[in-house]
Amino acid sequence: MNRIHCFASIMCVVWLSGCISHPQTPEEFRKAVPTAFSAKVETFEVDRPFSQVATTFQKMGPNCLSKTIKTTSQTKTSYQVIVTTYKPTVLVTPKKAELHVQFHHDQGVIGVGKEPEGGYYLLVADASPVSQSKTRIDLYRPSMGHGVLIQAVRNWATGENVGCPDLTK
Amino acid sequence: MPGSHEVTRVSRTNGRMKRDRTSIILTCLWTAAFFASCSGLKPYQNTPDNNLHVHTAADSGSWFSSVRTVVDIHRVTRDCRTAYEGTVQLNRPAVDVGIPPNRWSRLVFVFASSGFLANRSGSITYETHLKPRGGYQYDVQVTYKDDMYNVAVRETPPGSSISREIEHKDLRACSANS
Repeated sequence: MNRIHCFASIMCVVWLSGCISHPQTPEEFRKAVPTAFSAKVETFEVDRPFSQVATTFQKMGPNCLSKTIKTTSQTKTSYQVIVTTYKPTVLVTPKKAELHVQFHHDQGVIGVGKEPEGGYYLLVADASPVSQSKTRIDLYRPSMGHGVLIQAVRNWATGENVGCPDLTK
Repeated sequence: MPGSHEVTRVSRTNGRMKRDRTSIILTCLWTAAFFASCSGLKPYQNTPDNNLHVHTAADSGSWFSSVRTVVDIHRVTRDCRTAYEGTVQLNRPAVDVGIPPNRWSRLVFVFASSGFLANRSGSITYETHLKPRGGYQYDVQVTYKDDMYNVAVRETPPGSSISREIEHKDLRACSANS
């Protein structure tokens, strides 16, 4: 995570909360994103059955996102180490598959306000069936930074170029 | 004789310079050996069967950054604890590794990226557990492209060309199946 991502994360957290409180649940996060400065909702449909999208979320979410990442930035005058732990949660019912991504800074960034258990919410992806072969995706995501993570979740939904995001980027 | 004194002095000076150079080289070698031993990384000692064939394609996608890929190999004990055995550098497109058959090993693939201009670095790992079967061959495709990585393991039975993909397994697989 570089400085831009770090700044974006802090801005995301601050603006989502309106400097008062952070979303403490996925539902609160969904409600906060549409009016947040540094987050947005992205909705699209994929030509893939809902069950396949749900299976990919279940497989890739824990494999790729249960990580603790350490990044080091160094200039002539500064040396910064940031340690971040990501926590994915996948919930699947016959009508909906949810992927929640939370993060917690273990080192290098000071938290502001009350942090939900498991870390601040960074992204929520909801998948729901449209037809036998189509699935609707609602992506509640940051609008600045974390492009690799967002692209990976899009790929998990479409089934194309399925891989894990390098969370150090 | 002044001439012979000069020769003696020159040859003594040359001898001292050689000794100094040798001691500098020895000091450098000792320092390198010291830091190598302190880095914690040791080359993995292959078993003779070379049953794991790792195919790596890693591209940072930028002139100003690089990505280095290695795999750390850990032995998994009977009580499902892990012990580091060594590291294999995946700096060639194809690397053959020997993993002991019929026992669990933990494979930790490390993607270490660094940027030259921003002077920042970070690494991300993907780990899986494997219990190779005797006589079977295992192909691992390791890819890193567009800031996405993937590790896929396939198993081929002896004398067959048909392979199957092996699902990612965490340490719970050891306790469940050992």
